[in-house]
Amino acid sequence: MIKMHHFNYALKMLLKDKMLIFWTFAFPIILGTFFNLAFSNIENSEKLKVIPIALVQDEELKTNPIFKTAFDALSMPDSEHQLFQTHYTTEKKAKELLAEGEIIGYLQLKNQTPSLTFNTNGINETIFQFVTEEITQKSHVIHQLIEKEMSKQQTLDINPEQIYEDVLALVNEEQVMLTDISSEHLSYTQIEFYTLIAMTCLYGGTLSMIAVNRILANMSAQGKRTAISPTKKQTLLLSHLLACYLVQLLGLALLFLYTRFVLNVDYGNHIGFILLLALIGSFCGLSLGMAVGVLFKTTENVKIGILISVTMLGCFLSGMMGITMKYLVDTRLPLLNQLNPASMITDGFYSLYYYETFERYWANIFHLLLVSIVLIGVSIFCLRRQKYDCI
Amino acid sequence: MKTMINVEHLTKQYKEVLAVDDLSFQVDEGEIVGLLGPNGSGKSTTINCMLSLLNFDRGTIKLFNKEMKPDAYDLKAKIGVIFQEVAVFEELTVYENIDYFCGLYIKDKSIRKQAVEEAIQLVGLEDYKKFYPKKLSGGLLRRLNIACGIAHRPTLIFLDEPTVAVDPQSRNHILDGIKQLRKNGATIVYTTHYMEEVEQLCDRVIILDKGKIIAMGTTDELKANTQIAEKVILEIHELDLEAIQKIKDLKNVADVRYNAPNLVVTYKTGKNNLVEMIDYLKTSPLHYTTIYSQRPTLNDVFLELTGKELRD
Repeated sequence: MIKMHHFNYALKMLLKDKMLIFWTFAFPIILGTFFNLAFSNIENSEKLKVIPIALVQDEELKTNPIFKTAFDALSMPDSEHQLFQTHYTTEKKAKELLAEGEIIGYLQLKNQTPSLTFNTNGINETIFQFVTEEITQKSHVIHQLIEKEMSKQQTLDINPEQIYEDVLALVNEEQVMLTDISSEHLSYTQIEFYTLIAMTCLYGGTLSMIAVNRILANMSAQGKRTAISPTKKQTLLLSHLLACYLVQLLGLALLFLYTRFVLNVDYGNHIGFILLLALIGSFCGLSLGMAVGVLFKTTENVKIGILISVTMLGCFLSGMMGITMKYLVDTRLPLLNQLNPASMITDGFYSLYYYETFERYWANIFHLLLVSIVLIGVSIFCLRRQKYDCI
Repeated sequence: MKTMINVEHLTKQYKEVLAVDDLSFQVDEGEIVGLLGPNGSGKSTTINCMLSLLNFDRGTIKLFNKEMKPDAYDLKAKIGVIFQEVAVFEELTVYENIDYFCGLYIKDKSIRKQAVEEAIQLVGLEDYKKFYPKKLSGGLLRRLNIACGIAHRPTLIFLDEPTVAVDPQSRNHILDGIKQLRKNGATIVYTTHYMEEVEQLCDRVIILDKGKIIAMGTTDELKANTQIAEKVILEIHELDLEAIQKIKDLKNVADVRYNAPNLVVTYKTGKNNLVEMIDYLKTSPLHYTTIYSQRPTLNDVFLELTGKELRD
């Protein structure tokens, strides 16, 4: 149970700690300002326009029409959904177009596996890669569904129309339709600000880690004094964590207001969802800090080092220093980003733009909550009736 | 009389080092018991084990006749601890620090307010209530540390070297405060390096060395058990080896140590040693400036038992 006495003093201590105030309130704003200066030029140079690409037209492409159909749909001229300008050509001609800078890359099917060729890496190349992967994934889903339906009907008379309708219904049920990115106002700067929010959420872990250190007998003299009192550690910890959460949310609110009204960052129409994700992300950050505080038996400075390293690595893998990294990890090491809170937060933000439905968004929220609860549960379990071999 | 602390066969090992070796002792209600010993003798480890902060390998610890465990909250409510390290928060004022820690014990705001004021008065910090710890001198900080540990009016108090690096004025304040706590009925376990504090405060003394109890009793009992009957101390500026040997050969003399200009002559027996020494000096060419007799101190007891000074 949270006690107001402990909560009030925990809040007072946090708000009077100049270093914590700097890292919680000032640092994200400074970083945000830096991002705004640094990425506004990239924004202008890499603004999402119609992307010129090529598909190598050969026998393989003919036998796997899903790629042609999908890219045709995304290349309809003058359509508000147009994302690509697609050339169908030979491999030789595609190479020439790429060398001349007429296209940013080309796709060729090799043994029914798409192979992409680029000259450089940038947001346009990443989008081309992302769309290709999505189509491949959907193609697999459809194949599996067809096989499933065929096997169901093995004992019956085969009715192709029925199978087609069933598969179509199942595809619709999947509800994993890719929206046209160009129809949304998605910007490179915006993506960076999402990772900045993710980082700020996770930086809140520093607050909770310091709060934990104030309670642990092996970490501070104050902790020793607390440990010999009749107040349960869990009670004290919850009061301190709540204070940390409040300070963390104040920091986030300040960051939102600053980026929205001073830096004019457009967070789009999903502001409620963004705020909810930030709330849950902050909670996850606090629980991460708490776990580092409880589970690592080392000095406060080392714990801060561990926490900042974990946070920065998580942000890097989730695309803070380049969106391509997130894509690479998502495709090559998906488990890593499924366990990475920074990736869950940024992925939640992306999903608001990339998908028409909120399934992926809610999945990220659920995962964040799950990770938070597990971390808090493990921490509290380790704190219970704790005695030390050495203090 | 109620037994407040009962420690039996307490043993605690840190890897290769036996920090506490089969310790057994009792502390009765209202007593001030001094735990005396050099650095590394096991004083703080013993206290941390008694408070259930540290695991120990063997033995039992009972406080208020109940086994002490990390979740013995009813026992913890009656205990106050002042650790060697100053355990306060830099972000809170003197009053807030005491109120914060007192709030871990006393929920009622008005009772707590009164308790905090009493603690401030006890350690003499009335003029510093709104000061932040970094603005306080070392002595005042120690007083704040004590106030934080006793504001909730505990009946069993552990003071672990509370006067280390404290100016004489603050030390007197602290010692007066401890006497006041005893007057109020508290039982106190007091660890220190300073023998004069032990002699001034403690009813009983437990001397520890290398984790073992090497002596236990009242200060008079401990002194009575020493081989030393008396020490005569002289201030002599010039003394050669021949003169020292002559003093060693005097009646009842057990030991002579000269650390210019102080000459310490230790006697094992005899009642008129000082007079006899003065008579001898009258007949010798030695010139002394001062001479006085001293009864054995706890330091002598310690030296005799361990072969080293308490502050080694």
